[in-house]
Amino acid sequence: MAPKKLGDYIIQVNAISKTFPNGVIALSDFSTKIRRSEVVVVIGPSGSGKSTFLRCLNGLEEIDSGSITIDGIPLDDNKKHRLEIRKEVGMVFQSFNLFPHMTTLENVNLAQRLVRKKSKDEATAMSMDLLRKVGIEDKVNAYPSQLSGGQQQRVAIARALAMMPKVMLFDEATSALDPEMIGEVLEVMKNLAREGMTMICVTHEMGFAREVSDWVIFMEEGEIVEEGTAEHFFRNPREERTKLFLSQIL
Amino acid sequence: MGKILEIYKLGSATFKRCKIADIAGFTLVIAGIVWIVLRGAENQGYFWQWFRVPRYLLAAENGELTPGPLLAGLRVTLHITWMSLILTYVIGLVTALLRLSNSLGARLISRLYLETARNTPLLIQLYFTYFIVAPVLSLDRLTAAVLALSLFEGAYASEIYRAGIVSINKGQWEAAYSLGLSTFNTYKSVILPQAIRRILPPLTSQAVSLIKDSSLVSVLAIYEMTMQANAIVAETFLVFEIYFTIAAIYLVITVMLSQIVNLMEKRLRINY
Repeated sequence: MAPKKLGDYIIQVNAISKTFPNGVIALSDFSTKIRRSEVVVVIGPSGSGKSTFLRCLNGLEEIDSGSITIDGIPLDDNKKHRLEIRKEVGMVFQSFNLFPHMTTLENVNLAQRLVRKKSKDEATAMSMDLLRKVGIEDKVNAYPSQLSGGQQQRVAIARALAMMPKVMLFDEATSALDPEMIGEVLEVMKNLAREGMTMICVTHEMGFAREVSDWVIFMEEGEIVEEGTAEHFFRNPREERTKLFLSQIL
Repeated sequence: MGKILEIYKLGSATFKRCKIADIAGFTLVIAGIVWIVLRGAENQGYFWQWFRVPRYLLAAENGELTPGPLLAGLRVTLHITWMSLILTYVIGLVTALLRLSNSLGARLISRLYLETARNTPLLIQLYFTYFIVAPVLSLDRLTAAVLALSLFEGAYASEIYRAGIVSINKGQWEAAYSLGLSTFNTYKSVILPQAIRRILPPLTSQAVSLIKDSSLVSVLAIYEMTMQANAIVAETFLVFEIYFTIAAIYLVITVMLSQIVNLMEKRLRINY
């Protein structure tokens, strides 16, 4: 893959900490910066805080301290900032979370209509484009329960893309899928990466990390243990902990 | 495969035997109840006069049929029920949303209302609304009755709504929020449409309760069906005939209501 041009820093995470009410420390003094068009893969054992990190970026979890700025907007107590950031940051969940009472098309149209205030025709045109892109154009009138897991997840990606986000977050997007469906979802994600979308992916798919990621972060207990290019990670990781983890999942 | 068939045959034979025993049991129970009622009336030396009932349902005037006092009362009952039902659902929803809101004040107020309405007798609430609240707000008799009924039933409805709302998976909230939807839009387009489908059966029971409880507003001298029945009974001593008749009318209406909701539920379920 030709080296792509990365832009300025779109996400700045400065020393954020998060402790859950039950006393579990999810993030401790965590900092990172992410450039436009960069694809960052976050790996680590379960409970290492990688999902929490993702969920903090669009305000689904509140941080206890530190600061997050996305495309110049600070994620603070101001509700407008939070909504603004959520419009610019798309998220794809492990369990898809499609709206079960709506068809594929209605799922993808909803936020365009309510948040972007588009007309029905405008929204539908955009949705159809996106559904074609993720290969679901023949299921526009199906309900989520009539779709396979892989199809549901591709609809969920289209739904997030419909907001024209500047950043996409993928929270273990393929972990709940049957093995034969992982490929179709990864393919969509790879295409997105090649088109220059800024992406942060929590994933166990090392093939994906190797192929499209610009930066890999290995986390444990809410801290960054090691980070670097995928090349560095898979050729010669420095830390013993990293080596152990990689040997277990590869 | 053979084995499965065998089990299946065995199952259907057992099923048939159960069905016969079932029907026999059912018949026996019903026969027992009918016997007790007839025997009880007989012991009282009750003189049944069913033939005097129809004129209170339909009255013939100059060859034209007009509703008798019972059906006239039914109209008032339906009128009160209909208005109270709408108000009940609105009050229930608003109370549930307040209870789930972030505001401590809103949560306390809704809780206070809920506990008061659920833990005091409806009869007292009717008197309270009519004699204490209505004069201040200058409400007429009927409005006071509708208000009292709706406040009482609304408390129960709010718990149904709340249960429905919290039963929706957290992921639905997160997906909606991650798309930039406001809390209002999330409720309106994502949470409530799913929650209401789930709570249609208990909301229907609530409507059924409301229809029956509406008979209590007779204490405010509103001439709904029960009040009419009381008046007729006082005049004619047709105690059992009239009360059984209105009980049957209540039954017909509530069963019809349940059937309509059943149909609605089936149509909604096709979607997913």
